[in-house]
Amino acid sequence: MAQSRRRVEHEPAFVLHSYPYKETSLIIEAFSRRQGRTALLAKGARRPRSAMRGVLHAFQPLRLSWTGSGELNTLVGAEWEGGMPFLRGFGLMCGFYVNELILRLLPRDDAHEALFDAYAGSLARLGRGEPTAGVLRGFEKRLLAELGYAMLLDRDAASGAPIDPAMHYLYDPERGPLPVNGGAGGEMVVRGSTLLDLDRDEFASAETLHQSRGLMRALIGQRLHGQTLHTRSVLLELQDL
Amino acid sequence: MTKEPVPTAQGLERLVEALRVLPGVGPKSAQRMAYQLLQRDRAGADQLAVSLRHALDTVRHCAKCNNFTEGELCSLCESSRRDSTLLCIVETPADLAMVEQTSSYSGMYFVLMGRLSPLDGVGPRDIGLDRLLARATDGEVQEVILATNFTNEGEATAHYIAEMLRSRGIRVSRIARGVPLGGELEYVDAGTLSQALMERRAL
Ligand SMILES: [Zn+2]
Repeated sequence: MAQSRRRVEHEPAFVLHSYPYKETSLIIEAFSRRQGRTALLAKGARRPRSAMRGVLHAFQPLRLSWTGSGELNTLVGAEWEGGMPFLRGFGLMCGFYVNELILRLLPRDDAHEALFDAYAGSLARLGRGEPTAGVLRGFEKRLLAELGYAMLLDRDAASGAPIDPAMHYLYDPERGPLPVNGGAGGEMVVRGSTLLDLDRDEFASAETLHQSRGLMRALIGQRLHGQTLHTRSVLLELQDL
Repeated sequence: MTKEPVPTAQGLERLVEALRVLPGVGPKSAQRMAYQLLQRDRAGADQLAVSLRHALDTVRHCAKCNNFTEGELCSLCESSRRDSTLLCIVETPADLAMVEQTSSYSGMYFVLMGRLSPLDGVGPRDIGLDRLLARATDGEVQEVILATNFTNEGEATAHYIAEMLRSRGIRVSRIARGVPLGGELEYVDAGTLSQALMERRAL
């Protein structure tokens, strides 16, 4: 039963979240390129003079080294990779949201290299101040695909016919778009043009922005089995300020 | 064969359970603390019980700055020597004490008693942003200085407070950050140095 202690060296990784642990330590929820999501114990990282303190910063590319192979590994090194703009303002809130999606939906210890790269790319775009909606929809789509729910966006799921931009479709989470009459029916009913725009990551149209946001929220809501996201409720509260 | 149950005292169990409210205290440490209090230091335990009761009965939040106080207002808010046009916003009483130690600030404070932490579900209501808004718009305050931490959570907090107050015509500033005084670049961590480069200023 005793697994051999593994040592992971200089692994590209991001801090998703951290929690205080005992008097002076931190538990880091990290997302690494080749090891996936991992919990790491950073001993003494809350001490005033800890060298790790200024490094273990979310949304910044790091190189982490750790040992152990259990539920909780021990962080032994953290280096600053750099080159990523710092997230600010609303972009920072979007970063928290993306981190919560990963924390809630991605199982631990499963490598997702493509998703890791998409995550790093999304943070860079948020940091450069690109319109957030396009960045978020792109990442959500990527995440669903990595979880095994890749979206069908260019063909009608029933007939296989190409999506007609002028028609309306009900997006069935299991199958994909099914043609319906008229646009009523909630967030899962969208116009064909929205599906095609989402497929090509084009978010210039106001209707696409609006409909794709609702559709992705509904699909992600299904994966969360009705749990609400903390970041979403905090954002709603902030809008009332 | 059934084992004889380990003898326990209900009061002891309740104490162990109660001690676990302290941050970083798990079942093991709570048990150790309880034994210490009941076995080795009963006088200290008594003092702890009395002062805890006393603090709960008397300590409350200052109506103006939200810091802990025993009266309606804390001594700092009651002082006539402070500049009441300046309001400095900090996360914790410890942060307030640090700013006071510099002796380079003579305005007033507002203590959030926390920070926005979207991933933990800590939102504006949990850190009393409605009370801060009332305080900052009471007509006396002319400039608000944001001294929340330079963590992502502290930055998010500063951002939303700034938005909230600017839209109501209040001047808002953020404390500067960078290389520590006497800091040699060689020994400064990369994150701090990269921030300092980005926030460089013209000479
Ligand atoms: Zn006060």
